[in-house]
Formats: sequence, C-alpha cells, structure tokens
Amino acid sequence: MSIKSELTEHTASLRRYALVLTRDATAADDLVQETLLKAIAKADSWQPGTNLRPWLFRIMHNTHISDLRRAKTRSDAAPDLPDPVVPDHQHTQLELKQVLAALDQLPEAQRMPIILIALREFSYAEAAKALDVPLGTFMSRLGRGREALRGIVSGLASGKLSVLNKKGSI
Amino acid sequence: MTHDLKGTQGLDADADLMAYVDGTLPPEKMAEIEARLARDPEARAATASWRHNDNLIRGLAQSADALPRNMRIAALERELATRLQARRRRAFLMGPALGRIAASVLIFAAGWGAHGMFGGGAQMAGAQHPQFVSATMAGHYAVQYAALQQAEFRPDDMDTALEWMSAQMQHKIESPKLERLGYVVESARLVSTEAGPLAIFHFRDEDGEQVTVSIAPHAPDQSDYKLRVVRMDTDSMAYWTEAGLDYSVISAVDTGRITTLAAAVRQ
Repeated sequence: MSIKSELTEHTASLRRYALVLTRDATAADDLVQETLLKAIAKADSWQPGTNLRPWLFRIMHNTHISDLRRAKTRSDAAPDLPDPVVPDHQHTQLELKQVLAALDQLPEAQRMPIILIALREFSYAEAAKALDVPLGTFMSRLGRGREALRGIVSGLASGKLSVLNKKGSI
Repeated sequence: MTHDLKGTQGLDADADLMAYVDGTLPPEKMAEIEARLARDPEARAATASWRHNDNLIRGLAQSADALPRNMRIAALERELATRLQARRRRAFLMGPALGRIAASVLIFAAGWGAHGMFGGGAQMAGAQHPQFVSATMAGHYAVQYAALQQAEFRPDDMDTALEWMSAQMQHKIESPKLERLGYVVESARLVSTEAGPLAIFHFRDEDGEQVTVSIAPHAPDQSDYKLRVVRMDTDSMAYWTEAGLDYSVISAVDTGRITTLAAAVRQ
C-alpha cells in the first residue's frame, strides 16, 4: 500500500479518535489539522519501514494533552472536557452521555487506552506504542480504567453520582 | 475530579477477559472462558459492561465518517504524504540501503560470478561499513553505472528496445510479463559490463512499488544458477539461469512476493 492511501485510512481513524476526545466535530477537525501540521513538521522523525499509525496517534495524543493543559490554564472555571456533543439519532443517547461523562471522570492515563481499544483499530501493542507506554503498563491502565468506568456508569445509572446533573448536560 | 477505582476480584488485571471482550482471545481458550463466564456472574457483568461501553464509544467514533469532507485536512494529508515519501527516499539513499544499491551495481558490473559474496543473504557489502562509506560507495558505483549505460528506452519504445537489446546480446529477449500482476514498465536500459551486456527493466505498480528485472547472457564457462531467493534488509531478490540467460528480480517485498514476481518473469 502506498503512503498516500495508507495516510487516507489513518486520517479517517484520527478523525474518529479526535471526535471521541473532543466530542465536537469542529474541535475534532481542528485537532486532526493540528496533528497533521505537527506530523509534517516532524516528518523526519518517522522511521521508514515502521508503522505510521502509532506514530500519528502519538502525535495526536500529545497534541490533545497539550491542548487540555492550555485550556485548563485558561479557564479554572471549566477544568474538565467540553460537554459531550453526540448524535441525536442514537436511541442509546442517554447511555452514551453517561459513558462519556464517566470517561471524563477517569484520569487521562486510563481514558486514552479505553478509547483507543474501543476503536477496534489497534492491537494492544500498537495502542501502547501510540501512547508511548510499555505494554504491561498499557494493559494495567486499560483494565483498571474499564473497571473504573463500569463502577462510575453503574453509580450514574443508579443515581449514586449526579455528575451529569451537576454538569447540566441532561 | 477524576476517579481511579480499583476493580473488584482482580477483574481489571484479567488479560483473558479483556482479550475475550476485544476479540483477541485464542480459540483454544474460548471454551474455558465461556465456561467461567457461565458460572461467574461478576465476570459476566464486567465483560458485558466493558463490551457495551466500547460499543457506545465506537459508535460515536464512527459517526466521524459521516462528517463532511474537510478540504484543509485533505490538503494537509497530501502534503504529509509528500513529506513522508521524501523521507523514505532520503532514508533509502542515506542509510544502509545504499550499500545494497552499490552491491546491486557490483553484481551487474562483475557479472554473476560475484553472486557468491551475498551467499548469507542478509548483509550486502556496503552495509558492513559506516554510513558515509556506504554513501561513498554508492556514489562511486552510480557514476560508474551511468558511464556503463548504453541506451535507455521509454515504455512506448519497448518493441524497438527489445529488438535492439536482443541484437546486442545475441539472444532473443522478451519483456518480463509483470503486467498481469499490476505492474507497468517505466523504462528499459542496456548496460555494458565486463561480463557482457545487461538489460534492465524498471516496473512500478499503482501504489508506487518498484520492481527491477535484469537479463544478461549466461557465461558459458559457468554452470546454470538454480532459482534462488535472497532476503535483504527491506528488499528481496530472486535470480536464476534459464535458456542461456541470467535473470534477477529485485523489489522491496517479502520473499513470497518476490517468488511470485520471479514466476511471472519465468512465464
């Protein structure tokens, strides 16, 4: 497969990942553009013969983390991620909002592995590479994150936590 | 505020359950895990929840596919592709691969008698030296190679090229039949070597993958070469003797693919 056609596939994947990270179509495209711009600037750091996908996702991951830190510095009043923007047509909209709200309660280190694996586009090893962590660390964070997510969602569903109401998103 | 809840009953560290949810569990373990899930309600609830949450997240991610095409992203993607292609070319020219180019030219220049130096298959002569030495070697042989070239033909001159090459080689040669594998001939050239004339054909497929095929009269004082496939760092090579001609095929593909390419040339 040529680099051009490979990149077309990867850009579509980056857009999917960015949409989950940002929950907003415009912000997602901004993140993809920022990622591609950085990739262009860092093209010489790519090792030909190695997989492009983890390299690109690592750039997006780092870009997103930097963006979050900048946003946090700018506004102490809005320290968390933007409110979820999800498709209206999903009959599971409420569940999705709960899961996204629960995801926001997780530390970044657990949130990213969950999202990457949920995309079903990465092996564990590739995802670990994209996040630049050892495979063992990645698996540990994925497992703990999934269980934490389950606990929070369960709490949300039973009304023990009122995160969504506090954020005013439902 | 963030939560970092510890999982119950060690489910968070259960690699088999995660592999089950992610569809990567080896088939031989499937029955064991399904039996466990049947008798362990907590594990069953956990895996169902993980899978459900994954599905919801993936559903949101896939909605990105329905977003309108973003022209700025498309432009950046093209620019990145150009940069990465240039990066790949530079890496090829500046890295150990240059040693392979030099070695390939050495094969042509010295004739097939030199093939024994690559008997190990993995290391070419230039790759054993520091990079600057490899680069120097390649530069040296590239100039030598250019001086050895007698003629170059474009694709629309191929009939003329084959006729002229056949006359020079005193053997009738035919264009390698790689079209059926999706390759198109880009150029053909004739190079003079100490061992005699050498015809080189360059092909490329629609993804830009290059294949080089060479044909030379076999030295009568040497025994025929049986088909041999050699794996190098990123490239593979196949060579053999057939009907009084030596053939070689080189491309950045695996050994299975180079064997297929060699078979197409032999046909």
